[in-house]
Formats: sequence, structure tokens, C-alpha cells
Amino acid sequence: MAKTMRHLVIVVILIVFWELLARSGWYPPLLFPPLRDILRSLSIHKQEILYRTCYSISLIGKGFSVSIGVAFLLAGLAVFYKPISEGVSTLMGIMHPLPAIAILPIALLWFGSGNRSIIAIIIFSSLWPLIANIYNGFRSVPATQLEVGRNLGLKGMNLMLKVMLPASLPHILTGLRIGWARAWQASVAAEMVFGASGGEGGIGWFLYKKRFMMEIPGAFAGLTIIIIIGILVENIILAYIENNTIKKWKMAG
Amino acid sequence: MKKLLILFLLAVLVTISLTGCKGKGETADQISPGEKGYKIRIAEQFGLVYAPLMIAREKGFFEKYGLDVEWKRFGSGGAAREALASGDLDAAFMGIPPFLIGWDKGVPAKVALGYVVSPVSLVTYNPEIRSIKDLKPGYKIALPSPGSVQHILLSMAAERELGDPRALDDLLVALPHPDGAAAMIAKKDIHAHFTTPPYLFEELSQPGYVEILKGTEAFGGEFSFNVGLVTLKYHDENPQGYAAFIQGVNEAIAWINLNKREAAKILSPKFNLPEDKLYKYMTWEGMNYTTATYGLLEFAEFMKKTGYIGRLPKDLSEVAYENVLAVIGKREGGQ
Repeated sequence: MAKTMRHLVIVVILIVFWELLARSGWYPPLLFPPLRDILRSLSIHKQEILYRTCYSISLIGKGFSVSIGVAFLLAGLAVFYKPISEGVSTLMGIMHPLPAIAILPIALLWFGSGNRSIIAIIIFSSLWPLIANIYNGFRSVPATQLEVGRNLGLKGMNLMLKVMLPASLPHILTGLRIGWARAWQASVAAEMVFGASGGEGGIGWFLYKKRFMMEIPGAFAGLTIIIIIGILVENIILAYIENNTIKKWKMAG
Repeated sequence: MKKLLILFLLAVLVTISLTGCKGKGETADQISPGEKGYKIRIAEQFGLVYAPLMIAREKGFFEKYGLDVEWKRFGSGGAAREALASGDLDAAFMGIPPFLIGWDKGVPAKVALGYVVSPVSLVTYNPEIRSIKDLKPGYKIALPSPGSVQHILLSMAAERELGDPRALDDLLVALPHPDGAAAMIAKKDIHAHFTTPPYLFEELSQPGYVEILKGTEAFGGEFSFNVGLVTLKYHDENPQGYAAFIQGVNEAIAWINLNKREAAKILSPKFNLPEDKLYKYMTWEGMNYTTATYGLLEFAEFMKKTGYIGRLPKDLSEVAYENVLAVIGKREGGQ
């Protein structure tokens, strides 16, 4: 509770600071629109923002779930088969440092200018941190726990689900956190560099339009929504999973 | 050994990040400071319509009038406009609609000169599309960005032919010209492209690619495809610099119109196009490098009526400087 209060205080300070800056007259209101304008823009565009946000989340949902599936599969195989492990770590070494936005031109050529490109970018950006963390998690399971599992007669899939998965959960959650953040960044960035099409397009397209129409308060309204969703996912969904698993099991402080 | 290597790499990284890279390209761009030149920061832009700017640079027309030019590169017209707003740039070139959107929102700049009248057309390869009435949901139209000249022209045609200026907005895909052209040639996803030279000419050179809407048809006459903007601050504080800028562009445009052959020769390596092809493009029907400004108020009236901007300039002096007003003049008696 005290932690939430502290967060709130910091947010309030930031908002006050913003408003003071906006009202100081040091910068044209074009660059620092006052809070009132941003809120007004939010309420004017609330329908479109809601639609665009849902659209973004659905794209990220599709891409992210593919990433999670592939990451578990590859990380799982890598733990059991040495050649695969080497292959995966080499691939990771090559691909992980590549910013997702750098492969955009190629995605555009391969998948066209539609949603498939955006989903490909989302998968690309979230896959590597997921694999890295899941694989690390699996490898960090203490040998004694694995032995105990084996002594209890667990094998293969069962051993995976009942011993390795819970034991590596802290790592997996870290992977999810980073992967989710990167998926968001990638989807917004991709839509802003190569704008999606008018009918179908997420919050990145909204920002893009507002930028070109120079409706700066609108752009800040879009940013506010992106921040709020980030906070919601981080502090409610991921925190819920954490509280009911690793915190409950006393795995993490 | 390893520690030494790490230390070395770190040192290199820190030096680079603190001093910045001075690559060959960068130093070549720097102009040696004039003896007592007026400084001006101009957006460096690329494309066939920017040929006068490139010629002015190559032939030193700005330096001739005592200007010390700092060329600034931006990723898009939107970024150049933001730089005008934040005071990082003194002069830039853009279409009338993006300028008006900026003016409406308070970007402190006005039109300093017309720049070019250029063909701009909606092209398609799809035999089922023969007019904008055939553009049904499911088709995609590429254009550079929302609020661009192309977008407003399409909106004008949509209002006239479909009864709703926003009828085609849901079909739009924002793509930079080269990417749009690549998608068109590959016939991938994009069914129509609203574009400008040289991309327009390249698309039209392919078999089966046709223009279904010309800019002049959409607008109902001639209009400046691009105008030159200067910030209020620069105009007010540096009258000599402003005059030198105008005169530099004037001279470049006059020179290019008299020497298209030679201009094509000078610019051919810059565009990576053969000289003959570039000459053909620069002399294409409808290309006109001119500082006369066409269509300023017509664009404003349409954009106000359809809600792209919130106010109308009361008279031209709100959006253009005295030299533009002098060219347009004021005819007494009758309308």
C-alpha cells in the first residue's frame, strides 16, 4: 500500500511539473500542451482511441502468443538436446541485438504493408527475450530438485510441467515482462514508421495521424493511453500472477 | 588480455558517443563559414521537385548573396515542420496543405515563395479501377501521409465524385514515396498510389499502369505543389538573410529553366538516374519550376470547409510574406 502511495506521489509531482512547464510560457503550447487540452482531446477521440487500442492489443495478442509458444518449444527442446541448444544460442546471438524496427523494410517486402508485417515485427521483437529468459530459467533449476522429481517417477512432459516450469517461473515472468514491453514498442513503432491503413490500424496509426495533422494534444492523449495500458498490465496482470505463484511459494522476496 | 580489450572497446564507445562520428559524407557537407555571411538553416530535401534547391547548393547560389547555409536533414516533411515549430530550422519546402495545417496549429512560418508546379497523380495497375468510384473497401491506396497534398487532392476528388471528402480515408496506407512505388511495381497489397515525380514517371513507364486522377483535375486548376517557408523570427530578425535566400532560390530556378540539359548532367549522379532519363523527367509535361504561388487560398477554403483546419486566413498577408503579396498584386475594380 505504502508503495502504491509513493508511486502516486511521484505521478502527481510529474503532472504538476508538466502543467507548470506548459503554463510557464517558455515553450509554445504547440510543444507542451497543457493537461486540459490533452484531456479534452482524450474525450473527443475516446471512441477512436478505444477502437485503436483494442486493435493494437489484438495484434499484440496474436503475435505475443505465437512468440510464447515458439519460445517455450525452443527453450524446452534446447534443454534436452545439446545441438538444438547450440543452434538456439547462436541464433539468439545474431538476432537479439537487432532492433525490430530495423527489419521493417524486409517485413514489408515479405508480408506486405498490412497487419501481417506488424505481427511479424511483434513476434520478432518479443521472441528473443522470451527464449533467453525461459531457457535461462530452465537451466537454473537446481539439479537436486530435478533428481527429487525423477525419484518420484516424473519423466519428460510431467517433469517439465511439475518441476521445471514452477522452478523457473521467476525467469519466465521476467521474460514475459520484457517480451510484452518490446511487443508494445514494436507495434507502435512499426505503425508509426510505415503507417497502417486507415480502416485497420492500432494506436501507433492514431499517433501517426495526430502527428501529421499537428494535433499535438491528441498525440499526447495517445501516449497517455499507452502508458496507462503498460501500467495496468505490469501492476495488475503480471503482479497478480507473481503474487499467486512465486510470492506465495516464497521464491522471490 | 581480455580486460584490455574490453577497456579498449569501452574507450572507443565513449569517445564516439561524446564526439560524434565525422564521416566522410558529413565533412563534405559542411560549408566553410563565409567571411561575414548571414547564417540560415535550410531543410535538405530530396526529390525531383527539389532540383532547384540541389542546383542552388551545387552552383553556390546562396553563397553568392552572402548566405552561410547550414543544411539540415529530416526523415520526413512532418519532421521538418516540427523543426520549424521548435526553432531548429529557418526555411523548409512543403506542400500547401501541410503548411496550412501547421499554420492553423500555430507554427510560426509563412510562405516566402512558390517553388514548383508538378504533376501528381493517382496511378493504378488494376484494370478494374478506372476512376475513384471503383475504389471499394478492400482496395488500398498508398500516399505519403495524412494531411499531405496527395491526401487533400484525393479528398477534393472524393467530395466532388463520391459526395464525401472522407469517403476514401479508410483505404489509405501511409507509405513514403519509394516504398509506395516498390509496393506498386511488386503489385503487392497496394492497388493505387498517389505520387509525384520521379516515382510517378517510373510507375507510368511500366506496361498497364495508368493515371486515374490527375492533381489538376482534383484541384480544378494549377496549384503550387511545393512552397518555400521561412519562420517569422528569421524573416523579422534577418531581412538581409531573408532577401538573400529568396534571391538564391530565384536564381536557381531561373538557371534550371534555362539550362535543363546541364542541370540533368549535374544532378544525374545525385538521383542515381541516367542523364537522359533525368532530362526527360525534368521536362515532363506539366513540370514547372516557378516562384509564383498558385492555389494558396483555394486549398485553405477547402480545408476549412472539410475540417482539416479550424480557421481561414483573413487575407493572404496572414500566410505569405510581402514579396509573395507583391507578385500576386491587388487588382482594383471588380472582383
